[in-house]
Amino acid sequence: MSDDTAQYITLASALIGLPIAPEHRAPVEQAFAGLMDHAKIVLAETLGERDEAAEVFTP
Amino acid sequence: MTASALDIAARVASGQTTALAETNAALARIMAHDDQLNCFTHLDAARARAEASAIDAQRDRGEPLGPLAGVPFAVKNLFDIENVTTIAGSKVLATDPPATRDAFLVRRLCEAGAVLLGALNMDEFAYGFVTENAHAGPTRNPYDITRLAGGSSGGSAAAVAGGLVPLTLGSDTNGSIRVPASLCGIFGIKPTYGRLSRGGSFPFVHSFDHLGPFARSAADLAAVYDACLGLDLEDPAQHHGQDLTQVSPQLDSAPAPRTAILGGWFAEGASEQALAAVAHVAAALGALETVELEGSQAARSAAFCITGAQGGALHLNRLRTDAASYDPATRARLMAGTMLPASVLQQAQRFRSLYHARALALFERFDLLLAPATPVQAPLIGQSTMEMGSKIVNVRANLGLFTQPISFIGLPVATVPVWLPGESLPIGVQIIARPWAEATALQAAHRLEQAGAVGYRLPASAAKAPV
Repeated sequence: MSDDTAQYITLASALIGLPIAPEHRAPVEQAFAGLMDHAKIVLAETLGERDEAAEVFTP
Repeated sequence: MTASALDIAARVASGQTTALAETNAALARIMAHDDQLNCFTHLDAARARAEASAIDAQRDRGEPLGPLAGVPFAVKNLFDIENVTTIAGSKVLATDPPATRDAFLVRRLCEAGAVLLGALNMDEFAYGFVTENAHAGPTRNPYDITRLAGGSSGGSAAAVAGGLVPLTLGSDTNGSIRVPASLCGIFGIKPTYGRLSRGGSFPFVHSFDHLGPFARSAADLAAVYDACLGLDLEDPAQHHGQDLTQVSPQLDSAPAPRTAILGGWFAEGASEQALAAVAHVAAALGALETVELEGSQAARSAAFCITGAQGGALHLNRLRTDAASYDPATRARLMAGTMLPASVLQQAQRFRSLYHARALALFERFDLLLAPATPVQAPLIGQSTMEMGSKIVNVRANLGLFTQPISFIGLPVATVPVWLPGESLPIGVQIIARPWAEATALQAAHRLEQAGAVGYRLPASAAKAPV
């Protein structure tokens, strides 16, 4: 867990009003780091500007 | 005690047995075995006996019976059951008011004459592949009670495999029908995304949530799938232009499918048994070619990200006020998901379209694709890591290694049970079809079962049943 990630969790959780109890903090940091490992794989995919998201709202 | 659902329905219709007798027999099996397996979290004998008696009265009056008349069934505890609080494996929902009516699929099965016995254990909020629920305890594998039943629909799979009931319903967001079907050696189908209504079920990830059945034979699976078909305006994701043709009447009449094996991601990390099971099914279906579905690792990662973000957002309010009541295995991941940057979520949804197009290109040449349902046979309860190729990996995160990319793009999948020579545990194979082609997958499952290549085996524990 980098200091940047720990700081991000502190700020992001405060911004969305999500208190994280001290005893829950370490597993959340670990889970977030795991999620960001997957995020890096997703962000490495090259997409064209016209590749649309799968979710489409149908009014 | 392991009579097929169709056999029970035929015997009820002909008067050889009654719905009430079948219901009482199922209740006795549950009383005898569920202490050990821990499948049921709610049992409603009074409702079941009343429904069964109503079916028997229908028959006595000479009225036509439904195709599942008198067949006992149960549902994962995220399905609404009238007058019962829907807990979805959690403690935080336990004080919510009871449901005011049954979920759409429960209503469909009851209309077909099936008899609801109760609700089944699962991973909290369906966020897991193990059914080691911190509140209700683990569901145990009927073939070895020291091992996992899989999840998140673990109670649904073990109840069928353990001989308690012939049919159950579960849900599959990232593999939660296919993983437990594999570890428990039964048949399951995750239909196309948007096929079956999710009305009256507790959601997890709206982009990926599917509902579907488990059974001990392909014919039973097709029958319960057929009974579930129907349109429901209450599910905004259901595709209302779909063809509602029943599969059961065409189960025997299919031409040989053009089948290929998925290689690459779907072979790396698979155990010797998982690869042997796929090879076995491939040989039986005459599949010779191995193909790649490019981007499957990214598809799995994208599924992780969308799951975390949508699941986390769904629970944000409750996490703010009652995080301590969550299962520790669920809480940390939901909290983490609430903070995922939106740019990641959007990239994942955009990649979903691209990956979907690649899969559709493969279906121009093939009717079916094969892949392992799980990388390994059932791990031990409490086991935290497992070997995968040359790596040691986390069990909980990796049982869905091969299911996540497929549900990511909503393809229909039948899971079939394989027993390899000398093995004491089953393992499942995913039979993946093009969108809306559930019939093709179910026909292949039936063909394989008829040929003796796949099938259910009675666990030793179930053979000692009192009825």
